[in-house]
Amino acid sequence: MDQFLLVLVSGLASGAVYGLMGLGLVIIYRATDVVNFALASLATVGLYASLTLYDSGLPLLLAAAAAIVLTASIGLVARETVIRPLAQGELLSALVMTMGVSLIAESVISTVWDDQPRLFPSLVEGSVSFGDSAIPTQSLLTIAVAAVAMALVAYLFGRTTIGSAMRAVAESADTAQILGLGSQRIARIAWALGLGLAALGAFLYAPRAGLVPTVLSAPLFRAFAGIFLGGLTSMYGAVIGGLTVGVLDNLAAVYVSAGYRDTFVFSFTILVLLIRPQGLFGVRTFQRV
Amino acid sequence: MSDVSRSTIARAALGPLAAAVLIAVLTTGAVPPYQAYSVGLAAVYTVLVISVNLLAGWAGIWSIAHPAFFAMGAYFAAYGSTHGWSLELVVLGAMGCSAAFGAFLGGVGARFSMLYVALLTLAFTMVSLEVMGQWTSVTGGDQGIPMEKLDSALGLGTLASAGTQAQYIAVGAAGIALGVAALARPSSLRMRLVAAKSHPMAARSIGIAPEAQSALAFAVSAAFAALAGVLLALVVGFVSPDPFSLALAISLIAACILGGAGTLLGAVVGGAYLTWSPTAAESAGIPQPILQGLVLIAVLLVLPGGVVPFLGKVVRRLLRRSASHPPALADPTEPFIEPVPAPSSTAPELLRLDEVTVTFGGLRALEGASMSVRAGETLAIIGPNGAGKTTLLNVLSGLVGGGRVAGSVQYDGKPLLRSRATARRRLGIGRTFQHAETFPELTVLENVLCTRRRITAQNRARAAELLDRVGLTHVADRYPAELPFGLHKRLDLARALAEEPELLILDEPFGGLDAGERTLLARQIVQEQRRGTAIVIIDHVLDDLFAVAHRVVAFDFGRPIGEGEPGKVLDDPRVRTSYLGEGGTRGELPHRDGTERVVVRLDGVDHAYGGVTALRGVDLAITQGSIVGIVGANGAGKSTLGRILHGTLRPTRGRREADGDLRTALVPEGRALFKTLSLRENLEVAAYAAGIRGADLRARLAETAEWLPSRLRERMGVPAAGLSGGEQQILAIARALMARPDLLIVDEPALGLSPAMVDEVYARLGRLAHEGMTVVLLEQSLTRAASAAHEVAVLHEGAIAVRGEPSDLTFLARAERAYFDGKDDAAVAAVQG
Repeated sequence: MDQFLLVLVSGLASGAVYGLMGLGLVIIYRATDVVNFALASLATVGLYASLTLYDSGLPLLLAAAAAIVLTASIGLVARETVIRPLAQGELLSALVMTMGVSLIAESVISTVWDDQPRLFPSLVEGSVSFGDSAIPTQSLLTIAVAAVAMALVAYLFGRTTIGSAMRAVAESADTAQILGLGSQRIARIAWALGLGLAALGAFLYAPRAGLVPTVLSAPLFRAFAGIFLGGLTSMYGAVIGGLTVGVLDNLAAVYVSAGYRDTFVFSFTILVLLIRPQGLFGVRTFQRV
Repeated sequence: MSDVSRSTIARAALGPLAAAVLIAVLTTGAVPPYQAYSVGLAAVYTVLVISVNLLAGWAGIWSIAHPAFFAMGAYFAAYGSTHGWSLELVVLGAMGCSAAFGAFLGGVGARFSMLYVALLTLAFTMVSLEVMGQWTSVTGGDQGIPMEKLDSALGLGTLASAGTQAQYIAVGAAGIALGVAALARPSSLRMRLVAAKSHPMAARSIGIAPEAQSALAFAVSAAFAALAGVLLALVVGFVSPDPFSLALAISLIAACILGGAGTLLGAVVGGAYLTWSPTAAESAGIPQPILQGLVLIAVLLVLPGGVVPFLGKVVRRLLRRSASHPPALADPTEPFIEPVPAPSSTAPELLRLDEVTVTFGGLRALEGASMSVRAGETLAIIGPNGAGKTTLLNVLSGLVGGGRVAGSVQYDGKPLLRSRATARRRLGIGRTFQHAETFPELTVLENVLCTRRRITAQNRARAAELLDRVGLTHVADRYPAELPFGLHKRLDLARALAEEPELLILDEPFGGLDAGERTLLARQIVQEQRRGTAIVIIDHVLDDLFAVAHRVVAFDFGRPIGEGEPGKVLDDPRVRTSYLGEGGTRGELPHRDGTERVVVRLDGVDHAYGGVTALRGVDLAITQGSIVGIVGANGAGKSTLGRILHGTLRPTRGRREADGDLRTALVPEGRALFKTLSLRENLEVAAYAAGIRGADLRARLAETAEWLPSRLRERMGVPAAGLSGGEQQILAIARALMARPDLLIVDEPALGLSPAMVDEVYARLGRLAHEGMTVVLLEQSLTRAASAAHEVAVLHEGAIAVRGEPSDLTFLARAERAYFDGKDDAAVAAVQG
């Protein structure tokens, strides 16, 4: 039971990271129809930059803020230069374009820094004992920070006018255009927000995983599994899907086989999608001729 | 195979021939060993890229699973070679296993969109990577396993790995793979794949099942990827998980996009790129991924179709004979051929519908519709927008999508509803589509040929004859995108006729055509009547429809409301009312003295979407404080006119002049509320869009809330989806008011509302006019618009047929006539007057 609790907490901590990245993916996808494959590698650039700043004496929290700002800025530059010139609705071209950006970003990291694994500093150390088990404080912090961030996103989308406008554009870009709602502005906000969330997730994930140029590729794929599970366009779906994947992934690693965790997670996701193609929270759409 | 043309065989021979030459060069020893090894690898990657490229280009499936199939082939070979498996067993086993997995992925993937297929195939590769790492007894884990020689079970000799022999075999296999692909290119299989990819709905209507096509394509592609894996093991002589990473999947996609998906030459370019990009990057002094990323971005931005298709287009343009003969068919002056007389009343019934009901979610599109069609009869179905006509056609062709169908349909004495859309073609049902959904990546001839499973000389001759009949021979080798809309519609018709249907279904065949094209189409229809084909047509162009129809059934509210001969059906008051609306009482309108200023003026406005004309020569002036009704049947051009008045759509020709500070707001047809947003949020977003923020926004929100009826004001927090149709319409108008417009344009405000709600919506619009707002009403119902507007303009096929003041009764009679035939007949006015 104690071990189960440990696995559950560490699963929720992983899931919180996948949820943050998935939320970033979904926010960008809803506003601009772009599946942003470069999300992970851009966030990794942010991580390396913040580590350099931290090593040169900046406090860790400021370094984290810098990572988030930097990631969002690079993302905006990438969007304006290579994504925006593409025609609207070119789902595949946009996806492949972000793959290209991702290749370049990862390679720049290896060139500027190097491929050697590094330690990434953690805001908190040690563990909290809970019964007989010791739960790492970093896991609890990850869950708490992610929860706060998600609550802020929920507030932004649910309670503010700009959030309503973003949901409106996501629901029908055509109607938004008739009302005169500038979709480019909304798109930029969505990209900045989505990448910022990914950078935050990365910052919480890196102390546990250590830093290599491809540190975020596994979380990215699991975030993908999470958003498909959740329904691709649902923000709640992204969070719940991410958490589900995180918990399953950790349970599989401990109780099934450490070597087959992705097999377990992806098989589960595909099975759910076979039964419910629109995902857990997605909406089925009707087609007309 | 007498059907395969000589040029195809010549083209197919090119690959093996080039391979033979290359092998001959390699055997001379002139190529240094490392270069020869590279050539062998390039051959392996060419086979792999072909498998990914053609799957993407022909079937539209972008697979991330191919590294897994590649690995499957390689491990199969290596494990087999150390366990005494024969060459044949290894090759067939690897290809067979991969094909089975591929068929599964393709079949499942066809149900999903491109993104889901990407996830599905990504999952496959992720799983394969874990299996490679963990199943050490077979794969050797990270260390990998050696590849030994393979003996042939048929006594064809022994194949040694990691030597020159393996390189020759790889080059030879690549040549053969290219040859096979070149043979597949002009085949019906490729055409049907492309058809299913680009328009699944239209593909189903000609009997192509997208699921089966995609399973087959994926299976073949996976088998070739496995073959490439076997070759890789042979050339390298060693197998470890390194080459089969996700990075390979991305590189493969990059190679396809660079070369051009769906082209053989593109696959060769891609294979070469994949092999030599490391060397190129090294000599350029930049890391390979950066080079790859830059190439990818540059190609997508500059040559979105890939290098080879771009060059192909350039060459085609240079080679094209300067003058392609113009179509000599459209001669509208030629007298119209009389339709074949209606079949006798004893003619057998071909189609019978009994109480057919179709529901989409909570919405009923058809409600207990019953009717019948006799063999050889041409039945026209008319009715206002939303009457259920298109749904009826979709029931007949099996394309109802997410809708639920109840009731029974008998076709040729057998129940029809059970049979699948793809089977209905064989039953003799052909159909066209409102927007002529041709397959853009097939030539005109191929669009017709793809209806056949095999392309025999006879089928070719038939297709050519058919193109001649509809007047498309001169463009047989062009792609639809190069043709005007009229020719698209002819092609759509030719495709529907390709297998000589017994029942031909035409979905708005006359819509968007000019007079010459319409005459031509009418002649085609008469020709089909002569063959004894039964025809069901829906359209809004009533004159043309009535000229060919034997019988007309009028629909409203999802069921027939009347029927009769073409000349008489409109005499039925119920049918007339369904178009023109019930006579509302004329309300008190704000007084006008004729000195009001013009707020927006259109001068000679034309508009066309692609080649389809929506508006022609519209002159219109809207004066301050008036209510103007723009009336016309569906498809007359009302919404386009509304968007142009609104200012969000620029007319293709002509001018729109408006006051500099004129604020306009549009309430789109069907309300277009943000259904997931609450009432308040819908209003907020509109204010935000108008640039209003903070306290101003709140003040305006409060003001608009006052305008809403109390039953809406009390529900400001609920999602708009929860409102009734009428409440949604009122909210949509309120949303438009948030920007405080001077001119409000309302598109079909009464659509789908109960009469009481229509009255309420109209009363509110009237009150707005009394407060000084200028209102443009886009209305299907002449009577309703006449009761509510100062001035009415009747739009018929994109032109204003007649305009005047509805207080003048003679005008109303003229307007009613013009509504149906577009003619402003002064004689009618005189009689009525």
